[in-house]
Amino acid sequence: MKTVETVVNTRKRAGEQSPGKIYSDKLKVRRRREWRGVKDTFYDYTRWLYLMSVLGRFIMVPRNVKGFFRYRWMMSYLFVPHGMDKFTVGLRDEALRIAHTSFNFVIADVTQAIANCFRGDRRVGNDKAYSDKCVITDENSMVTFMMGFDKDKQVHTILREVPTMFASNIFHQFNVMHYLDIAQQYGISGDVCPMPEAEAGISIEDDFCVLGCCAVQNNTTCDGSLMGNGIIAKRLEREYGIPTFQLATPLRHKEPDVLEYAATEIKKAIAFVEEHTGEKWDWDVYFASAKRVNYATRCRIAQMEINSSPYPQFFGAAFSLYNDTNYMGNSGRDPRFVKIDRKLLQLAEKGYKNKRMYAREYRHRAIVWGVQPQYVIDMLYWMVQCWGVMPLTDMLSVINTEMIAEEDTPENREQAYRDMAMLNMEMIMRNHTHGGYKVLLDDLWELCEKMNADLVMMWEHMSCKALTGMHGMFEEQARERGIHIMWVSHDLCDPRVFTRSAIRDQVSNYMRTVMREEPLDPSLEHIPDDEAW
Amino acid sequence: MKKKLQKKILNALLSVLLKLALAGGIFFVVTFVIYFFNLDMKATSMLEPFLEKWYDKLERKQYI
Amino acid sequence: MRDLKHLQYFEDLLQVANNELIAQAKAEGKVCIAYTCENVPEPLVNLPGTFGIRLHAPNTGSMDIATYYMTNLLCEPSRALLERAIEGGFNFADCVITPDGCTMMNRAVENMELLNTMGKDNPNFFHEYMEIAFKNTDSDVALSVLQCTNHILTPLKEKYGIDTSDAAIRAAVEKHNKLCRLVRAIGDYRKGDKPRITGYEFHVLCLATYVCPEDLVIEKLEETLKELKTRRPDAKQPWRARILLVGSEVDDSGFIKLIEEQGALVCCDRFCFGSYPGRVEIELNDEEDALTQVCRHYIRNCQCPRMMSMDKVYGRKQYVADLAKEYNADGIIYQQVKFCDPWAYERVLGSSMLQHDFGYPVLSVDRPYNIASSVGQMRTRVQAFVESIEIKKIQKGGAAE
Repeated sequence: MKTVETVVNTRKRAGEQSPGKIYSDKLKVRRRREWRGVKDTFYDYTRWLYLMSVLGRFIMVPRNVKGFFRYRWMMSYLFVPHGMDKFTVGLRDEALRIAHTSFNFVIADVTQAIANCFRGDRRVGNDKAYSDKCVITDENSMVTFMMGFDKDKQVHTILREVPTMFASNIFHQFNVMHYLDIAQQYGISGDVCPMPEAEAGISIEDDFCVLGCCAVQNNTTCDGSLMGNGIIAKRLEREYGIPTFQLATPLRHKEPDVLEYAATEIKKAIAFVEEHTGEKWDWDVYFASAKRVNYATRCRIAQMEINSSPYPQFFGAAFSLYNDTNYMGNSGRDPRFVKIDRKLLQLAEKGYKNKRMYAREYRHRAIVWGVQPQYVIDMLYWMVQCWGVMPLTDMLSVINTEMIAEEDTPENREQAYRDMAMLNMEMIMRNHTHGGYKVLLDDLWELCEKMNADLVMMWEHMSCKALTGMHGMFEEQARERGIHIMWVSHDLCDPRVFTRSAIRDQVSNYMRTVMREEPLDPSLEHIPDDEAW
Repeated sequence: MKKKLQKKILNALLSVLLKLALAGGIFFVVTFVIYFFNLDMKATSMLEPFLEKWYDKLERKQYI
Repeated sequence: MRDLKHLQYFEDLLQVANNELIAQAKAEGKVCIAYTCENVPEPLVNLPGTFGIRLHAPNTGSMDIATYYMTNLLCEPSRALLERAIEGGFNFADCVITPDGCTMMNRAVENMELLNTMGKDNPNFFHEYMEIAFKNTDSDVALSVLQCTNHILTPLKEKYGIDTSDAAIRAAVEKHNKLCRLVRAIGDYRKGDKPRITGYEFHVLCLATYVCPEDLVIEKLEETLKELKTRRPDAKQPWRARILLVGSEVDDSGFIKLIEEQGALVCCDRFCFGSYPGRVEIELNDEEDALTQVCRHYIRNCQCPRMMSMDKVYGRKQYVADLAKEYNADGIIYQQVKFCDPWAYERVLGSSMLQHDFGYPVLSVDRPYNIASSVGQMRTRVQAFVESIEIKKIQKGGAAE
């Protein structure tokens, strides 16, 4: 079996050494926050203050209060500071700053998304003029088809499902159970992916904000995701009179013979948005966005290169969620991301230069493959600190590395549709779960080679048929290559199927029985947080 | 006369600064205690059951 | 009713995947094209010199090996097919054409390819995967034409020297239409108060047309149609209700038999590899090339839940309602094979809309691939459904016999 050299941290971590002590089995929350030494504790405190100010400013607006008491999922956002703490357990120095910089920005972005939803929502803000310029899109959708509409002046993109389901589940693990129960009460099977199922449940429960002049849906990641759209669109169209467009995105994205079709679909989506908003596609806006997409791509490639070294810096949930927000939800439209991209890269470079480490030692270099659970999204930080398994990257962060056309020329205007189509087809997750087995299997082994990984941590999202359908081949091919493969089952956003501790135990059992190792930090091995948010 | 006025202004400024520092200090101590002992989340956890009851009571037009 | 003369013959053909007619066609030197999804245009796999076989795995028992490869969370048909392929049950195939329709079936075939289950002794053997349309538009037709050209016609021509000309496609469509006319005419005997064929019998005949070479079943189907013209229905009809069966693929005729044993005649079928829309004739004109017309026919008529545009989403329910009206169905059973994602959603939306928008009683159920493993549960569900239909009839003042 392949082995890698253990990297030992020569610096002693400032502050407390066993963060597991701050958890309580009597409380839903931690006894106290972590002591990280004076400098880092103060930094963490100022970021907490910043978060409180973001939440405070949000709740000062009367319509947001109204929205808070109308929508069940809003309760999750009371627990944002707790959520932030999950991402920073044991972190110090650059690592702490990277986590805060990326995640605080994501939180601010989601907060703005909620505020936008409430502003146009017929039941809350009912700002009709605003709503008439809003286009609803899916949670898991690339918004490339909006890259040529000025986001502040012309058309507003409302990823309605992000704050409602995707992000709220990160802050409150039990949040979507209610909606899953509703969906299943209406007959949807319990074995489908809980994410689109919960979204269908939210629609059945009438717990989505109602706004926008039209909606664009996408066959994003899987059959379940595609099928859930029909239920949501029916209500949008028939009850609320919001027309919907289904943007078909080919699955076999590596085949050149699907590109023209995908580009045509992008053109149709743009025409649909123009028709319903009365606004025109602006090529200047598009190419400015394209430049920012390329900048984000370059930064991501640089981050991955740092992660290929013995001192990875930006990884785990913060990396994955930031990429998700930037690559899919933003797609170059918001200039603020450029500044954050730059800052994150500077921090990572500084950390790499200073040989900063997240744990006492790195025993294994792991590629995290498969789909991560929403409710244990902080798991990778736990894994590195408890067991010294360094997650170099996760599947959801392994996305496009190609540059797109960014100069406004007649040829590039045609190329732009193909670029948007390519990005759309290669959206997060589906770029590996669909498009043939090579992008799922071969890409993984190539990555193991490139990043010098000796272990694959395989998230087995039990309802993700595209992944579990290759279970045996993963096993066989890992064996042939001498790479350890550690299966960790979960059910994405339903903690009743696998609790957090049941998920962590799978890692601990593997490390003890197969790798015959003991934890680096025993205080973290059993954390009583099954009942916590 | 001029010196007296200057001293008076200086005193007033000092007093404002002192008050600001005191307010800042109190703000820091209070918020840091809340932060460090996780009092914000402990208080929120007490709110949760009431909110759940509230959302359960809301009538919704539930259909497929 | 007297037994149909050839029923036993057709039943026997369905007992194994590699049936005697496949062996006969192969002996005649024809190329066997295996496929797994109803979105493959059948005339393109039944060109002169070829015959298309839809893969199925009758009498499936243990699926242990396939379950190792794909876990027990994938639908049973996909695992059953993989298991059968690993056992060597599909070694008759000269190539496999797989549309990326439902994920699970696609994965099953990918596993077959990676495990090298077929074509070991055939240097020309190939696997092809194709994108299939999502909507009913001209660009979807163009996509389909391109995909069929690149992933069916070109490899067939290059590897096996098959004539893929317009004339060859037209000839294949003509043959296909003949088969469709026969199946439709036989199926029409399910209409009326005293049907001359049961849902079970029809399903056996219809399924055989997918899993056997087309040419070789036509003669017996013609004889059966002739027989039906004079078949005398029982004086006392055993049927308490007429049911339209909708949903994912039904490879196990025992499921239809089980429903009919409870007094519910399956008067019409609208499921993957059923007669609607699979046995609807393809109309060709002389102005346009045959390939485009075939692709358009498949897209326009496609009732697959994977078609995502809302005209298709609503259209599928209207299609079911129209069939229910045409066949005078008292109720509808929406069924899905367990773990089938597309039908898990379509079943729910369909059963809700057919009930509330069109006023039909609907039973919504999931089931195993082989009904033998869940007879008791299914029987109870169907019995209760039939009773509820009878009660509704009584409440409406109708005659419930």
